[in-house]
Amino acid sequence: MKILIIEDEQEIAQSIVSYFKTNGIQCETAGNYALARTKIDNYDYDCIILDLMLPDGDGFDILKKLKSKNKSEGVIIISAKETLDTRIEGFNLGADDFLTKPFHLSELLVRMQALIRRKNFQGNNTIVFNEISVDLLSKTITVNNQKLDLTKKEIDLLLFLIGNNNKVLSKGAIAEHLSGDMADMLDNHDFIYAHIKNLKKKLHAAGSGDYIKTIYGLGYKWENE
Amino acid sequence: MSKKLLYKTTSSFLMFAIIILLVSAPVFYYISEWLYIYETDEVLHFHKGAFVKESHKNFTEKNIAVWNKYNLNVMIAADMGVTKDSIVGKMSFDSIANEKEPFRILYAPVDINGKRYTYTEKISLVEMEGMVINIAIMFLFIIIMLLIGIIWISKTSAAKIWKPFYNTLQQIHDFEIDKNKPPHFIPTEIDEFNQLNKSLEQLIEKNTAIYKNQREFVENAAHELQTPLALFQTKIDTLLQLELNKEQLSIVSSLNNDVSRLNRLNKNLLLLSKIDNESYLEKSTIVLNDYIEKHLDFFTEQAEAKNSSIITEFSSALSITGNPALTEVLINNLFLNAIRHNEKNGKIIIRIQNNQLSFSNTGQTALAIEKLFNRFSKINSASQGNGLGLAIIKKITEINQWKINYTFNDQLHCFSITF
Repeated sequence: MKILIIEDEQEIAQSIVSYFKTNGIQCETAGNYALARTKIDNYDYDCIILDLMLPDGDGFDILKKLKSKNKSEGVIIISAKETLDTRIEGFNLGADDFLTKPFHLSELLVRMQALIRRKNFQGNNTIVFNEISVDLLSKTITVNNQKLDLTKKEIDLLLFLIGNNNKVLSKGAIAEHLSGDMADMLDNHDFIYAHIKNLKKKLHAAGSGDYIKTIYGLGYKWENE
Repeated sequence: MSKKLLYKTTSSFLMFAIIILLVSAPVFYYISEWLYIYETDEVLHFHKGAFVKESHKNFTEKNIAVWNKYNLNVMIAADMGVTKDSIVGKMSFDSIANEKEPFRILYAPVDINGKRYTYTEKISLVEMEGMVINIAIMFLFIIIMLLIGIIWISKTSAAKIWKPFYNTLQQIHDFEIDKNKPPHFIPTEIDEFNQLNKSLEQLIEKNTAIYKNQREFVENAAHELQTPLALFQTKIDTLLQLELNKEQLSIVSSLNNDVSRLNRLNKNLLLLSKIDNESYLEKSTIVLNDYIEKHLDFFTEQAEAKNSSIITEFSSALSITGNPALTEVLINNLFLNAIRHNEKNGKIIIRIQNNQLSFSNTGQTALAIEKLFNRFSKINSASQGNGLGLAIIKKITEINQWKINYTFNDQLHCFSITF
């Protein structure tokens, strides 16, 4: 999988690159409008992560360019501008998702995975991790071919954890993923604990391995034993 | 007690008029009475002079009886010992009017054929009373007309002159610095008012500019902070992935808490400045009951983490008109406020009654209401909140002209909003 990160803030781009690399995602970066234009003219990507404010141009122009060339890349906009108008304009120009800065890398990763799955819809829409398989269409989870009864939140949580395989996820990042904007306002994310506990219990009861590891005081990690 | 300017000016006129009326009426009465008596006395002297002059020719003692017989008012009496003319005022019985009337009576010594007699003449003052009253009525009428005229003219002209002043006053009263509507003063012919309006315009212009600058500053600052915050966040996410020992983990964990706090603060500041900029203008109808029920799960989850229970008491459906995004923020903030400041094992009561929505939570002592809704005024320093939640609530209620009220009853903090 190859993605392009169009972001003038080098450090953010590098963080994304290093975070994605461990998941086997190949990243290229473009720090300005001109370079981004050259890259999209010459190469194809699975997904483009696009910052709207570039030093020498507007991210929206890149969207227009992609559309005019009938490119099928999925586009996720990352922007500090979070007005409704900006979002609507982005979606109208063909963006697939919109993430407001600042964001968690884990959130960007699962959104990108979801986007790519949507793009390749005709292929199988199932995520398999060892004995666990998630059918994204019917939203059913099976462990060793045994159907598991999970709540919507637990499914979300499971996908988030598997998507960020081998990565430490802070409670804040999980809370934000599960409750969206609401999580911003919470001053503690202890409610995550109950969800993790339930998920662990249900997975364990179905005979699945114990993949969820608690990181002292900080969060959780999905890890192949 | 303050009174209206117009009342003040006309009331002094009115006071002056009443005093003039009260003083001038008796003075006028006594002066005209005195003048009348003076004239009457003149007439008496005149008659007597004429009598003396005529009587010298052929007036004899025999004639006196005849004279007295036919004259009612002028009598020649035997000498009463009067040596010089004297006039007295007396009440005496008037046979014509059949009652006692005031008279002026002249006693004067006259010589008829060398013999001393006393001449008496009386004139009734009844006529005077009628005349004085008539004149007084006329006089009063003129004075009253004059006063009414003066008061009316002064009142209407004052109202006209002061009209621009009241206009200015009204505009200043209606002026709100956070609305993009500067007052427009009517130009007047009165120099002082023009000066006043000009000074006010300058004052408002200057303050609005300062206010706009500050608002822009907050918005820009909040916006500019998003990129470094994003950097901070992504770096922490990267840092998390390293093999860290327990000590390092606790540092990263606290850094993580700090960045999310900064994040929250920044988002709230952005929200506040956006509300100021009237970014949330479009409105629609929202049924509050539905919204609360939809998100009850999320909040129950939060409340359970603090062992709090949520009780809903909806006596009717409440639908309001407002911006959906802001109304959500309002309800979420009230909800989280109730959860955040609730005591362990406390309860939260959400009540909808008529056009009122209230959130109550258990507490020990009442909060100081005067500072409650100020930005960055923390209810207690141990709280995790950034002190903007209630300020945002207040702001949202303000721009929608809703009313927020805080009460403390039966160990319950209660925030209620009247729509």
